[in-house]
Amino acid sequence: MKIATSVLTAALLSATAAWAGDPGVSDTEIKIGDVNIMTGPAAFVGRGVSLGSKIAAGEINAAGGINGRKIKILTEDDGYIPSRSFQALTKLLEEDGIFALNGTSGTANVLAMMPLITENNLPTLVTTAPSALIYNPVRPSVFTFGASYSDAFYAQLKYIHDHSEPKNPVYGIIRQDDDFGQEVEAGYERAVKEFGVKDGIRLRFKKGTSNFAAEMAQMKQAGVNVLANGGIFAGAANILSEARKLDMDIQSADVWSEGIPASAKLAAPAGYDYLVGDYVALTGPAVERFLAMAKQFTTPDELAGVSRYTFVTYVGLKSLAHAMQECGKELTRACTIDKLRHTKDLDTGGLSAPVSFDNPQQLAGTEVAVYQLNAKELKFRELVGFKKY
Amino acid sequence: MDFLGLLISTGLVSGATYGLIAMGFALIYKSTGVVNFAQGELVMLTAYVSFSLANALGLSFFPLLAVTVPISMVIGLVLERLIIRPMLSEPVFSIVMATVGLAVILRGIVVLVWGSEPLNFPAGLPTGVVTVAGVPFYPAQLCLLGALALVTLCAWLFLRFTRLGMAMRAVAANETAALLMGVSVDRIHAAAWMLSAAIAAVAGVLFAINFKLAPDLWFQGLKSFPAVILGGLDSVIGASLAGLIIGVIENLAQGYLGEGLREIAGFVVIIVVLMVRPYGLFGSADIERV
Amino acid sequence: MRTGNYKESVGQIIALSDSKAAWAWTAVLIAALIVAPYLVGAYALTLMVSALIAVIGAVGLNILTGTTGLISLGQAGFLAVGAYTNAILLTDYHLPVWLSLPAAGVAGALVSIVVGIPSLRLKGLYLAITTLAFAFIINHIILYAERLTHGPNGVFVTGAKLFGFGLQRGPALYYLTLALAVAAIFAALNLLRTRIGRAWIAIRDHDIAARVMGIDLVRYKLLAFVVSSFIVAIAGALLSLQIRFVNIDVFALILSIEALAIIILGGLGSVAGAVLGAVFLSYLPEAIRLVLSTVIDPSSPLYTNYVYEIRGIANGLVIVLFLRFKPDGLIGFWRDARKYWSNWPLAY
Repeated sequence: MKIATSVLTAALLSATAAWAGDPGVSDTEIKIGDVNIMTGPAAFVGRGVSLGSKIAAGEINAAGGINGRKIKILTEDDGYIPSRSFQALTKLLEEDGIFALNGTSGTANVLAMMPLITENNLPTLVTTAPSALIYNPVRPSVFTFGASYSDAFYAQLKYIHDHSEPKNPVYGIIRQDDDFGQEVEAGYERAVKEFGVKDGIRLRFKKGTSNFAAEMAQMKQAGVNVLANGGIFAGAANILSEARKLDMDIQSADVWSEGIPASAKLAAPAGYDYLVGDYVALTGPAVERFLAMAKQFTTPDELAGVSRYTFVTYVGLKSLAHAMQECGKELTRACTIDKLRHTKDLDTGGLSAPVSFDNPQQLAGTEVAVYQLNAKELKFRELVGFKKY
Repeated sequence: MDFLGLLISTGLVSGATYGLIAMGFALIYKSTGVVNFAQGELVMLTAYVSFSLANALGLSFFPLLAVTVPISMVIGLVLERLIIRPMLSEPVFSIVMATVGLAVILRGIVVLVWGSEPLNFPAGLPTGVVTVAGVPFYPAQLCLLGALALVTLCAWLFLRFTRLGMAMRAVAANETAALLMGVSVDRIHAAAWMLSAAIAAVAGVLFAINFKLAPDLWFQGLKSFPAVILGGLDSVIGASLAGLIIGVIENLAQGYLGEGLREIAGFVVIIVVLMVRPYGLFGSADIERV
Repeated sequence: MRTGNYKESVGQIIALSDSKAAWAWTAVLIAALIVAPYLVGAYALTLMVSALIAVIGAVGLNILTGTTGLISLGQAGFLAVGAYTNAILLTDYHLPVWLSLPAAGVAGALVSIVVGIPSLRLKGLYLAITTLAFAFIINHIILYAERLTHGPNGVFVTGAKLFGFGLQRGPALYYLTLALAVAAIFAALNLLRTRIGRAWIAIRDHDIAARVMGIDLVRYKLLAFVVSSFIVAIAGALLSLQIRFVNIDVFALILSIEALAIIILGGLGSVAGAVLGAVFLSYLPEAIRLVLSTVIDPSSPLYTNYVYEIRGIANGLVIVLFLRFKPDGLIGFWRDARKYWSNWPLAY
């Protein structure tokens, strides 16, 4: 009975779509899924991320789509909760029938969705959570774009070490007590070992902490003057604000989450010109070009929400589209994955280093650029361009 | 000594937040027997309302509070009339669950109206560092400590010496008897919510100034539970003191023991204390008769 | 001439139902549930599995809170213990699933003894907050005991097989969950009609009077904790089988509050209420999604920008309205219907 039902369903499906190959592909459109943080305190991140897919889809569709097919983005909310990500992807796969996935929320969320992704051989672009847990071991249909937090922090600390190290350097790190924090510490460890500087203190804090008084008191006691700040958004701002209160003279290397305008606004009052390492551009002609292009596909309200999170998903969808374009009329998941694997030096208009997935880990965009905030003017300037670390 | 002084001073500051929020809990519990699970969300909502007022009217700190507190009292009154009053004859548990539902609604409303980005809220307070007895403070932190002291004093005076305060204590002791003695229980419940909302506004504004305004501010409500329990659910002054104690203990645990113990130090403390004093430090025991 | 409904033996008195019709309808329901995987799509099936897991958790919580009157906000912690035990035993120690599931339950029961002992003297909301404290502490310990629990990296759950069938896909998982849900419901119903159940109800109604009548409070309160947590931990283990990846983010505090909401919405104190509440709250988000997409045009900017918040608010609103107008819970609808049916046109 069950076999009969599935045969019947397949027959019905093929009756409605002339091209009944992989799900999500019809003669006129391709469905791309997006599982994102649309509710909850981190929603502004998810909104920025979804914007990237939307802008990329708008740009591609305006240019005629992919071999005549328009891209349709289907977004589901997971509120940053891994079990909901699993449910959201189940719905996207079973009910909406997506072809590929661009937009994957956080690390734990991707890992929660991984069994479904591997089972369905779903081409997936992971751009917001480039954690080693995702490409080690590498999954055949998963392509990761982004540098690790470890490289980002190493890049910033290297710049500080080479250009502006204080006389008696004491390095310190404060980071979250999860896999993201572990990666930050890995970059810190690498820097400290290589430079042979004093490792003052290593502190952990629980995700969601807002009161860093005890930790910063310990930092001050250890005499830290070069800080690897593993806090994000309000947390990072509070860390810097405590440091200012304790009158600490520090240079701070921060997570790329501090590169968005909202974070800069929060952290600037502390008065530190902190550094940020990122695998997409924060400022410069590439960003100007992007904003000018994006105006056509967004409302002014949405345009204000454009940030580095938008850029990463934009690059993700453009890479996916490029591979799908090369597959021509007969668009299948297997072909897309194959073309993605052969992607080499795909230009992203300067938003990032050229994208190349042709390596065993299917990892691209590992080049990091270093920026510095001018706290008074709330502007970033580039210190070092995209480089591999 | 320096390190210890820093830990204790900042512990008092974070404890002041716990204390203020806990006083709100205790006030509502004392007068109505309901634990308001939406207290954290109320703190968050009033903080955001205050933020909008500050942006619209450009007020400095004290005028801002003078405007925010009455508005939050109105909000508290509206919530009480809409949600709690119609459920007056239901079992307490149902009313508590209704506050849980209310909390979900308030959280959604805050993100709907103000977005989910974290915001800076200086509220007209100076941002330079001041030093008191060799320990650095931000003026906002001193304001927080001062606010706790002031609110605690006012609460004590109110409950002890004013008619409304005495009526509240009567309702807390025995609602039926108070009703028979001519106390308008209905009005007392409304007053409890209004005052609790006022305290929540003070707590919310000061917390936002110190730690940023973000839609996860409601979590401070949950974090204040140890303070409420330690002080005793129905002791308003006890809640304030317990808040300070919990704040200091949390900071000391994190500073000297580390390992993220700050998060659970408060909860461990209340488990230990409750084993010895099942109604908290200052709570009144429920005398049950067979 | 004999009239009326005579019960002539103890068995008849404590029978779950004396009506043949009730048993017949139950059989029909179970038959429908067994046939369900062949009639509904895969997504609807995962929803049903989630609902069944919620049912198991709700039945467990009902034993503690509804029957014995011990309010517990620590369910997220017991779910986490069950899920992690199952995950670690399956993945790291390669135990078969028919061993790891009961082991998860036993782990939950043992942890609950640790939670229960300090709670023996506490009443009402003090007890609730203490259990909340334990949930926090359990989460913290799971995060920091890295060598055992992989800390923040979480545990992948794979390889659950029974008789060669993979238990984590579609219908197999559904049948496992259905079987365990039915078992949990019958276990709860049966416990309620034994001396243990009567002791629990006595404790809920007035524990000092119960003590005076000779019921050992320590023993029965701890037993309530143990049985309840065993069932809840099994629910957690099934959850880990379904979502195939556990991480403390999954067991946020909000789960405890949702569990309590399920019990109260369903109707405090009855197993049927717990089941109804679980099913209702599991399907509520989907129902709201359906209603909103028909009421508001899906392509309007109002929808795309605000739909997620509106859904969240709608969730809370439903709970509040429900409690306002039907504080008896969902089981109250059933009781009202029954009363109306048997008493009409009289009022009582």
